[in-house]
Amino acid sequence: MINDDSNKNWRLNPAQTNPESDSVQKTETESVNFLKENFPALSEDLKSPLSRRSFMSIMGASMALAGLAGCRRPVEKIIPYVIPPENIVPGVPEYYATTMPFGMSAYGLIVETHEGRPTKIEGNPDHPSTRGMSNAYMQASLLDLYDPDRAKKLLHKGVETEWHNFVEFWQKLYPKYVESQGKGLAIISESFSSPTLGRLYREFKQKFPKAIWYAYDPINDENIYKGIKLATGRDLRPVYDYSKADIILSLDCDFLLSESESITAAHGFAERRRLEDESGSMNRLYVVEPTLSVTGGMADHRLAMNSVQIGSFIAVLTKELKKRGLAVKVDDQYLRLSEHNFDDKWISALADDLMANRGKSLIVAGRRQSESIHALVYALNFVLGNIGVTVNYVELKDSPENYDIDELYKAIDKGEVSTLMIFGCNPIYNLPYSISFGNQIKKIENTIYLSNHQNETSEYVNWLVPSSHYLESWGDTRAADGTLGIIQPLIQPLYESKSIFEMASLIVTGEDKGGFEIVRQTWKDLLPVLTFEKSWRQVLHDGLLRDNISAHIVAEPDWRKVRLGSPPLVSGSSKTSIIEFYPSASTFDGRYANNGWLQELPDPITKITWDNPALISPNTAKNHELQNGDMIKLSRRKFYDTHEPVDYEIEIPVWVTPGIAENTIILSLGYGRRKAGRVGDNIGFDVYPIRDYDSSYFMDGITLTKTGATHKLACTQEHHTMENRPIIRQATLEHYRRHPEFAPEMVEHPPLNSLWDERKYDEGYQWGMAIDLNLCIGCNACTIACQSENNIPVVGKDQVIRGREMHWIRVDRYFAGDDTNAEMMHMPVPCQHCENAPCEQVCPVQATQHDKEGLNNMVYNRCVGTRYCSNNCPYKVRRFNFYNYTKEIGEMLKMAQNPDVTVRSRGVMEKCTYCLQRINRAKIAAKIDNREVRDGEIVTACEQACPTGAISFGNLRDQKSRVAQLKKQNRNYGLLEELNTKPRTSYLARIKNPNPKLEQS
Amino acid sequence: MWYYFSPKYTNVGYRPKQPLPYSHKLHAGDLGIDCRYCHYDIEASPVANLPPTSVCMNCHKMILPESEKLLKVRESYATGNPIEWIRVHKLADFAYFDHRAHLRAGVGCASCHGNVGQMEVVQQVEPLSMSWCLDCHRNPDKAIRPSDQVTNMKWTPPANQIEIAARLKTENKIAPPTDCSGCHR
Repeated sequence: MINDDSNKNWRLNPAQTNPESDSVQKTETESVNFLKENFPALSEDLKSPLSRRSFMSIMGASMALAGLAGCRRPVEKIIPYVIPPENIVPGVPEYYATTMPFGMSAYGLIVETHEGRPTKIEGNPDHPSTRGMSNAYMQASLLDLYDPDRAKKLLHKGVETEWHNFVEFWQKLYPKYVESQGKGLAIISESFSSPTLGRLYREFKQKFPKAIWYAYDPINDENIYKGIKLATGRDLRPVYDYSKADIILSLDCDFLLSESESITAAHGFAERRRLEDESGSMNRLYVVEPTLSVTGGMADHRLAMNSVQIGSFIAVLTKELKKRGLAVKVDDQYLRLSEHNFDDKWISALADDLMANRGKSLIVAGRRQSESIHALVYALNFVLGNIGVTVNYVELKDSPENYDIDELYKAIDKGEVSTLMIFGCNPIYNLPYSISFGNQIKKIENTIYLSNHQNETSEYVNWLVPSSHYLESWGDTRAADGTLGIIQPLIQPLYESKSIFEMASLIVTGEDKGGFEIVRQTWKDLLPVLTFEKSWRQVLHDGLLRDNISAHIVAEPDWRKVRLGSPPLVSGSSKTSIIEFYPSASTFDGRYANNGWLQELPDPITKITWDNPALISPNTAKNHELQNGDMIKLSRRKFYDTHEPVDYEIEIPVWVTPGIAENTIILSLGYGRRKAGRVGDNIGFDVYPIRDYDSSYFMDGITLTKTGATHKLACTQEHHTMENRPIIRQATLEHYRRHPEFAPEMVEHPPLNSLWDERKYDEGYQWGMAIDLNLCIGCNACTIACQSENNIPVVGKDQVIRGREMHWIRVDRYFAGDDTNAEMMHMPVPCQHCENAPCEQVCPVQATQHDKEGLNNMVYNRCVGTRYCSNNCPYKVRRFNFYNYTKEIGEMLKMAQNPDVTVRSRGVMEKCTYCLQRINRAKIAAKIDNREVRDGEIVTACEQACPTGAISFGNLRDQKSRVAQLKKQNRNYGLLEELNTKPRTSYLARIKNPNPKLEQS
Repeated sequence: MWYYFSPKYTNVGYRPKQPLPYSHKLHAGDLGIDCRYCHYDIEASPVANLPPTSVCMNCHKMILPESEKLLKVRESYATGNPIEWIRVHKLADFAYFDHRAHLRAGVGCASCHGNVGQMEVVQQVEPLSMSWCLDCHRNPDKAIRPSDQVTNMKWTPPANQIEIAARLKTENKIAPPTDCSGCHR
């Protein structure tokens, strides 16, 4: 299988056209249509009501004013310190280690601060959960700190009040609850993994045995822990090592992006996809899943099936493994199946592969799958000899034991709860039966809510305490492998906020203490007494306690407990559908809804921004006569113990996506927030109301009806197309071994000659970049990292629809194959820094020029905004400021800007600079030391963020540099190099490693 | 007409009244205090720092502790409110100048700021325009001096300056950038 026929790669399913352009098609000529489809930005302006004449008169007026004001030089002040703080040199950034808690995960960070304000987040190379890399949430969490919509004041019944009033309030209640052993006291918190919170949690249980502390997250790993507990009887946490696995089977586990610990998973996985030449070896990934995920895109073999069928799939596979002599001590009667039509050959090839690679394989199941599947997966990994090699288990410590939220619900219903505290989650938004829960809450005497925003839940409580961002608070974490990390503040709290550590400490002890004191108290028991101060300082410096991973535990599964439950009801009848809930790649469970960077980040699969359409397969769409953007109604009847059955329905637009299981509707959680803030209010569609807590990740028996309405979706995939050319080059490993030069040979072109003498570029540094498509998973971490580093504005849904998104590095997504078995490929495209740059040749004012080191410079101040350069760029990487997007972002958001990068104004073009500020910083540092810049000293923002190391940057003239080595590989090719643009960015072709047994068919 | 709007005409001679009558002539000129005593971060940071109040007080705790002219300094030190100086030398926001690199190359303070040691009130003496920067970047021979002379306000190029500059350029690998990317990011 080889994609030498470029026509097989497509971005937009030809059967699905944009409904918007459909309606216009009848009246407009074909050429305008072409313009509209390919350059929406231009066609919109053709119809602009603001004529040139009126525009000029407006401009005339503002120029006259500018003329008068421009005579006098504005007075600017310099305000030095009175007593300078030690170690801070104004103008030189400082770097501190801290940790970002994310559910049960802990991401170790290094944060860049400029004069005390954090401006950029990177991974901590020493931390086991990040290893110096990052993901989009981590990068974007910086913007949350400066979110102007954050809760700023403590509120009591809607009236502003002070923290000490709350302390007094609680200190009055406290003795009462101590006496009653906590009867009537209830806490809901987000899940956590932290020694300090663990200590406070245990103290709470001891002091208030009759109280409840429930951890609630709409998306959690509970099924995984429960499954492992079922199999082993112990509370264990898995730590995967993908770099040791030759064969990986993923059962709906998007381990490369949306599952926990995805950064290290992606890194480990990529280690085994990295090729030096055709003699290299690769791992092989099998994926079965309902939706098309980023992990599914990297799969060598993939089957689309809904979650109900996944239970059957693992049952069939287990039987196949038993047939091959694997000692799976599960009786066949416990491996019952629902109806299925799996490809027997596929399963038997997989079973052979797993048997042949015992001790070097790995089966993983996603958090959405049931606990019995996780128990079986544990048992299979055990008998395959994988435990201790590709997966280890460590004790689950310092985190809450979850309760069934129904228990709390019933207790409130009976009037048994007199004080309810909610720490950080947003139950009124994301509980399935939130409205009735809200009414219940209102009956409670004291309700206290620690929240970063005034949101849906805050309306229902008496006390609202603003919560601190993790960059403003002291705290600690326990990472998946047990490593202890520290959260240290990078900035004083911007508002009158308290962290969950301070809040929990007050509630448990009745004393108001600062975060620093609380955390130190915990660490007094964790660090050696005699050298405490020294060790503590070392921990603060490193951000973590070194050499402190938990012991690995290998436990024989309890075979009596490992069994799949009776097969669930079979779906797939044509009348009803199954819905599957997934976290959004942008807002996760809704917590990032007010984050503009994430809202505008195109979804890795659909490339849709600012929305969460329901995804359906092309066949399902055909059966229901649906097109992209059509609104559908999903309805379902719910049954509760104590209530009448209720019909729930939601309306949502659809988006037709290949690779989705048939008759399955994929819904993203985390949108349709009613009260998130100015960015996130009423963006997308809330799908929580149709969710049922019992089977929370997928549900059967859904009726789908077309409403007839349509919804406009902002998708970036229709823009910047480069079709019918071999853009992404891909081959199988086998083909690559036979034809090592396949990638450069895919395009034949006559000798490339220039009309003029070309510049030589034979001295000094010559910068270049190589992007290994074999490693790129399409996770978008680079896009957000670039946005943060380079002050890239957010433009809003309306502007994205017009094709005016500003991302300097976009991640293109292509499909190949057919609708049901689509393959997906990703390709990051920044400015290619062509040596013969087409943009430079058409600029009338020399605003874009080449420098000696091969960089294509963009001089904002020269740019007059003709946009000729963008027109002439074959890669479509130039971005134009149609408005002054940064003019009104406010003082708070200005603090997130990188002072080393110019903030662009209206009317100028911009694009990737290869992180020029980082190049110059390194060059100046080298100059001061009187030496050359070392390889690896300059790391671009995208390169630094990339979890798989797909991007490399460096000096091409240094033959030993990583980038020069990569460009020597035979997979290296330049994008559209047949145009003689001589791009400095080049790509390494993608290689797949399919099972030869399945390839022959 | 546009010629008269160029920085040479609009900015040279800019001499705003500062909040207190600090004299560079007295401190740097007559007393001969090295620039780097007060502006101590110039070799460590792209931006030259203004002295914190505590640096003034290093001496003025002892010298003229009662002076009326120094009232604002003592006030600032006691209250913690910084003195708000008015900026004289300002480049456009899209130009990124780095003091460290220029000092390393041996460009004297006086080359851009003039002989501050003679100024009672600091004023801008050079246009600080792009073409003025480029004049030197294209031909730095006149400005480059041995690194121990950078803060010397009275330094004048010796007769064999061209030879000295040529030697310094090779020794210190001085090749000033003339591309846009050198200063604009």
